[in-house]
Amino acid sequence: MGDFSPQPFTKPGGVSMKNNIRVERAIKNITQADLAEQVGVSRQTINTIESNKYVPSTVLALKIARVFNKPLEEIFMLEEGD
Amino acid sequence: MKNHFLFPYWTRYLGWGLVVLHVPLSMLGRSHGMINIMDPQPRDQGIFAGEHLFFISTTLIMSAGLFLVAFAKEKIEDEQIWQIRLDSLRWAIFINYLVLIISLVFIEDVPHMLELNLWVPLIFFIIRFRWVIFRLNRSLSREG
Repeated sequence: MGDFSPQPFTKPGGVSMKNNIRVERAIKNITQADLAEQVGVSRQTINTIESNKYVPSTVLALKIARVFNKPLEEIFMLEEGD
Repeated sequence: MKNHFLFPYWTRYLGWGLVVLHVPLSMLGRSHGMINIMDPQPRDQGIFAGEHLFFISTTLIMSAGLFLVAFAKEKIEDEQIWQIRLDSLRWAIFINYLVLIISLVFIEDVPHMLELNLWVPLIFFIIRFRWVIFRLNRSLSREG
């Protein structure tokens, strides 16, 4: 029947996505709640993105990158293999 | 995210209210012999006969309640909530048809079986949706 919980996003080719939001947050010294408020999502969503459990939509990823004032690729990157 | 229709947040409480209200109502109906679950065929026939009317109203209250609970907005409605909602709907339809097909094969009481079909997707959807959100919140509070 499979698992009931949302799985970390992994493509069949074994390519997944990671991010360094946690690091960027530490640099900017803002909390998950602050970031959530600035991009208009819940704190849970930021939390699950940080722990690679949820892959944000392109719009949300761009909004997050805009908060940190960095290009998208410096915050979200592909990870080969598993 | 703005163009999807959902009921306002407070309708969730209204929905639970209706579901709770349905319980004493239908118990009352049963104790007064207005509903006989063993006998799906009402004694006095016709759409507006008392028995049928009572059945319709309690069923309507219950399903409207579940419907409002299932399709009320969350406090913060974001794309992850949407994904969970869609995923839970997928599971609900999946389970519903599984139950339907299995009961089609093994149960002869078709009217009650189809009545089951009225509750199963909504109830399963609500349970699964709330469970995933509960787990999300729990993992959040664990990290502090």
